[in-house]
Amino acid sequence: MPSTVSEAVATVRTSSISGLVDHLLSEPAIDPRLASALHAVQEAIAEPVADGPFLSVLLRTQGRRLEPIKDALLCLAGQTSQDFEVIVIDHDSDPVGAAAVRKIIASQPASFGGRIRILEVKGGNRARPLNAGIHAATGRYIAVFDDDDLLFGNWVAEFERVAETSSGRLLRGVVAVQNVAPEKWPQAQEGFRTISWPKAAYPREFDQLAHFEVNYSPFMSWAFPRSLFVTYGLEFDEDLTVCEDWDMILRGSTMCGVDDVNALTAIYRRWEGGASSYTDHSKDSWAWSEARVWEKLDGSTLVLPSGSVTDVRWLLAGRGARNELNALVHSPAWRLARPLRGFVRAVRYGRALAGKARRRVRW
Amino acid sequence: MPDVRSLVVQSVLFGNAPREIVRAAEAVATSVKWARAEGLIGEWSLLLGDCSDVEVLDASHQADIRSLVLDQGGSFEYHVFGANLGSAAGHNALAPKAVSDLILILNPDAVVAPDAVEALARVVVGSVGIAEARQVPLEHPKDYEVATGNTSWASTACALTPRLAFDRVHGFDSKTFFLYCDDVDYSWQLRLAGYRVVYEPAARVFHDKRLTVTADWPASSAEVYFSAEAAIFLAHKYSRPDLVSKLVRQFRAEGTEVARKVVESFERRRSEGTLPLPVDSSHTVAQFIGGNYAVHRF
Repeated sequence: MPSTVSEAVATVRTSSISGLVDHLLSEPAIDPRLASALHAVQEAIAEPVADGPFLSVLLRTQGRRLEPIKDALLCLAGQTSQDFEVIVIDHDSDPVGAAAVRKIIASQPASFGGRIRILEVKGGNRARPLNAGIHAATGRYIAVFDDDDLLFGNWVAEFERVAETSSGRLLRGVVAVQNVAPEKWPQAQEGFRTISWPKAAYPREFDQLAHFEVNYSPFMSWAFPRSLFVTYGLEFDEDLTVCEDWDMILRGSTMCGVDDVNALTAIYRRWEGGASSYTDHSKDSWAWSEARVWEKLDGSTLVLPSGSVTDVRWLLAGRGARNELNALVHSPAWRLARPLRGFVRAVRYGRALAGKARRRVRW
Repeated sequence: MPDVRSLVVQSVLFGNAPREIVRAAEAVATSVKWARAEGLIGEWSLLLGDCSDVEVLDASHQADIRSLVLDQGGSFEYHVFGANLGSAAGHNALAPKAVSDLILILNPDAVVAPDAVEALARVVVGSVGIAEARQVPLEHPKDYEVATGNTSWASTACALTPRLAFDRVHGFDSKTFFLYCDDVDYSWQLRLAGYRVVYEPAARVFHDKRLTVTADWPASSAEVYFSAEAAIFLAHKYSRPDLVSKLVRQFRAEGTEVARKVVESFERRRSEGTLPLPVDSSHTVAQFIGGNYAVHRF
């Protein structure tokens, strides 16, 4: 339930937690002691002032995708808004890969390269480098951009635009999917071939309930407010082998709310025939991680966005219809009518065959 | 290893943001620095030709760019044309203003990767007449041969060409192609002259193209007009009267203002006798495939 705070120029949408506190404070008969405590909460959860840039970009790499990471860095260098820092997190690269990544970073133009830092992280799952990154970040927002994806030139600028009327809420852009396949390039580099046009495969608007079922938002869709980590103290779940993004998206979105960017800002590369998180981890690993995310969320208290009651009622109506259908197909009447349904199907089939024969004769 | 060669980087400006031009200059100066460190490039210069009504770069921006170029051992020239020549004529006007072995044709706001010039310089040898960098984030769908990089034509958003090849085909056909397909034509002219046209995926350039929220191409009215006009001129120039007739019929059937103007433009040029002389009568280089000028990967 996002609340709004009127300002001179624009209405700023605040976090769900802030909205909940506002809602409690709006009760005329509230106990003054509770009101006082809630005001203290409001003060404590106010968006922290950051001296740093607008955005901290966490770029995880294992030093194994050297050509894609050059694309990724170039996409950052080409951003219309350059109000960001880049934290390249070298996670368990071997010495050759680590040296290659450092050489690539050292080759960047001074005005861009001066805003890139390297963190070296050893061990742990996919979440460990992210936690190292959020502790090092100085931006008002934090985004994660992996080393094999692409950004349009508006990625940072669109986050900035929406952040002007958003406080403490997650920002979500639209990401396209594009297929690529590994390929040796003419000069013998371990390259790739792009084999499809980008497809807008993910929903344009964030749907909280739909995200409970599956993650419809690749990592670089998101800019997480600094307060999520600094004030509320959230950290990425280092026990998860995968789904660390989905876990943070669900915990963050239910706590803070989401503002849609409503622009296509990035491309998620789907690798055909190469290594990816889908091939690097077993089905069991995915199933275990998904179950853990689900169970954690099931065990927590949620604040849902406005409109959720309508959505839940619609889903429940669907459940009612499914129950009725289920009851019908298991009823004695349905079983007794089985021969009759078979007869009707046979008649329809016979008519269709006769129709085909007539058409053949006519032509 | 190719010899050390001299290079001119040239861009044609039209109403760009000065900040973007400075950033592009820094990127290309950095890229030339690494190519020089590899012994691939020697003397070099950056030439900017401004076709805008109002000069894009003030003294301060020019000083910034000059400093970035000088730091990497290059020289900088800023030419104000005072008229919108279009990209083809703009590059033709810039080319004679310097002497070099190689010319890098570059979109004014395109950000080249640090190793782009090096990657292009390595492949522009022997019979290669032009090498095109891979554009990100939106890669052109043209197909290319895996082992050789051979392709039908090269986009000049960022492409390296030997000056000898440029001069041999007399640069871009600016009389026929104002804004679009000048690069398709230049590529095919090179191939007719016996050169290879290659795509070099390891050379990358950020070209700030964007899609709609539904991942569709947001074509501007200028793009619609000039690309339609170029399509009909290209079909004429490469000896495809059947395709010219088909396009004229198609545009007339569309009946839009743009389609009508395109047909008028072509008919006027034909009646004036100012259309280019048809070439490639045996269709050895030109490809017209479903509105494209190459086999597309997607």
